[in-house]
Amino acid sequence: MKWHILLAAFAMLCIAAYAEEEEKAARLLVSKQILNKYLVENMDIVIKYTIYNTGNVAASEVEITDNSFHPDHFTHVSGELNARIDNVPPYTNVSHTVVVRPRKSGYFNFTSAEVLYRRFQEAPRLQVAVSSEPGEGLIVAYRDYDKQFSSHVVDWAAFAVMTLPSLLIPFALWYSSKCKYEKLLKNTKKH
Amino acid sequence: MSGKSKAFTKEEELLLQDFSRNVSTKSSALFYGNAFIVSAIPIWLFWRIHLIDLYSNLISFVLVTLASTYALALAYKNTKFILKHKIAVKREDAVTKEISRKLAEDKKMSKKEKDERILWKKNEVADYEATTFSIFYNNALFLAFVIVSSFYILKTFTPAVNYILSVGVTSAVLALLSFI
Amino acid sequence: MNKIFFSYALASVIISVAFATDKVCLKPEIVASSYVTEDATVLTNVAFTMQFVLKCSNGVKGISLYAEVEGKLLPAARLSADNKYQISWTEDIKKARSGDYYIKLYDEDKYNAVRKAIRNGESSDSVSPLAVVVLNNPGVYLGPWVNSEFLAAFLASFVSYSAFSAKYKLLA
Repeated sequence: MKWHILLAAFAMLCIAAYAEEEEKAARLLVSKQILNKYLVENMDIVIKYTIYNTGNVAASEVEITDNSFHPDHFTHVSGELNARIDNVPPYTNVSHTVVVRPRKSGYFNFTSAEVLYRRFQEAPRLQVAVSSEPGEGLIVAYRDYDKQFSSHVVDWAAFAVMTLPSLLIPFALWYSSKCKYEKLLKNTKKH
Repeated sequence: MSGKSKAFTKEEELLLQDFSRNVSTKSSALFYGNAFIVSAIPIWLFWRIHLIDLYSNLISFVLVTLASTYALALAYKNTKFILKHKIAVKREDAVTKEISRKLAEDKKMSKKEKDERILWKKNEVADYEATTFSIFYNNALFLAFVIVSSFYILKTFTPAVNYILSVGVTSAVLALLSFI
Repeated sequence: MNKIFFSYALASVIISVAFATDKVCLKPEIVASSYVTEDATVLTNVAFTMQFVLKCSNGVKGISLYAEVEGKLLPAARLSADNKYQISWTEDIKKARSGDYYIKLYDEDKYNAVRKAIRNGESSDSVSPLAVVVLNNPGVYLGPWVNSEFLAAFLASFVSYSAFSAKYKLLA
């Protein structure tokens, strides 16, 4: 899927804009990834937020908030959409995973999550960062998914019912005649 | 005794060959009817599982089914022809025994007449067995080839192309194979 | 699908570190709920998520927690509720094994000790975890065990093989 391309493109957005500040500060890149092959109504969607600190100082009080999954449209299965991580050391990755299920099918625009953090321990104000945006995705109706990906057991059974007579009847006729004459031959040889 | 029966076999074979070249209307209808049913069955597979669009492919369904019916009927005929000889030879002793036992009491019947009866019966048995086996054999091969080619070999093609190729090529290959 | 695990602290002896006594959780008790994605037909990765509430007999709150799973060190994310944490990670479908995963929880000091042990090439077993939570992955569903078309192809091939060998016998 296109998530990875979008991810790379939007990763740029995440870079905090204040370049003139001194070098000794944390800088977080946040990606929001959807780890699905297909988005299906009432089936799991795995959302993974990865925070990477490119700065040379640990970021503290990192808080991820994602308000894009409205309870009317998504069931929250596991994991919370608001999480705090006390400390993200420099040049390390921290991830947070949430599982939701869409209630409805149709197009859905997956927007970015917001991250607040302190660029260094005693930073007076919080830095705001925005995660990458996975973009628009089509949530397929469960019925359509099932039609395409089910094992079609019923259809195969019907196929078997259709094909069996065309195989069994000629085979049975041939086999019974064959047995009849082979038996006859055997019996006569005994005499 | 053995020399006599060998001499007979040659005569018989000529006779049998003659018989099997001209397929009777009855068995011809049987072949075409069977071939049509078997040729049409893959449409179900393509409709339900390959999710082919029924209406837009209606023409190809009709054409491919007709072509495949013809090819399959040809395969049935040829396979039957090849098998009939061999089966006739195999069944000779058994049929002779069967008829001889039946006609044992009938002292009036001449030796020639009895031999004719045996020949006729042998022809009938060989025809029956060759026909039924040929239908079974070609049906089994046809279905297996269609399943394997449509689900594995031609998987990447669109259902419409997949259908035409798998059913068309399979029936053509069976028709060609039957000449060997 | 949510399985609730009650896991009681394994570490009964807690070596108190003099300068941090007030931040050490005594007699930690954990109530956890977890979810592992099972139907992998629509996913690229298996998600392991576990949320838990930490209770300490001495009422310690808001400490940083870390976890070690399968040799990986993860920080626990703090959730909206008091003393509620989440540990989550994802694994490639092909690499994710089924069975029990032991999540060892550490506080800051223990975490540093574990990191030090790992840095020195020692086993982290020497550091007793605050608690251990078991997360069970029953195994992801990758679709039906034998798919129907394979079964159909197999059966059809078998039938045509027997037809072929029967014909060969007849012609022999």
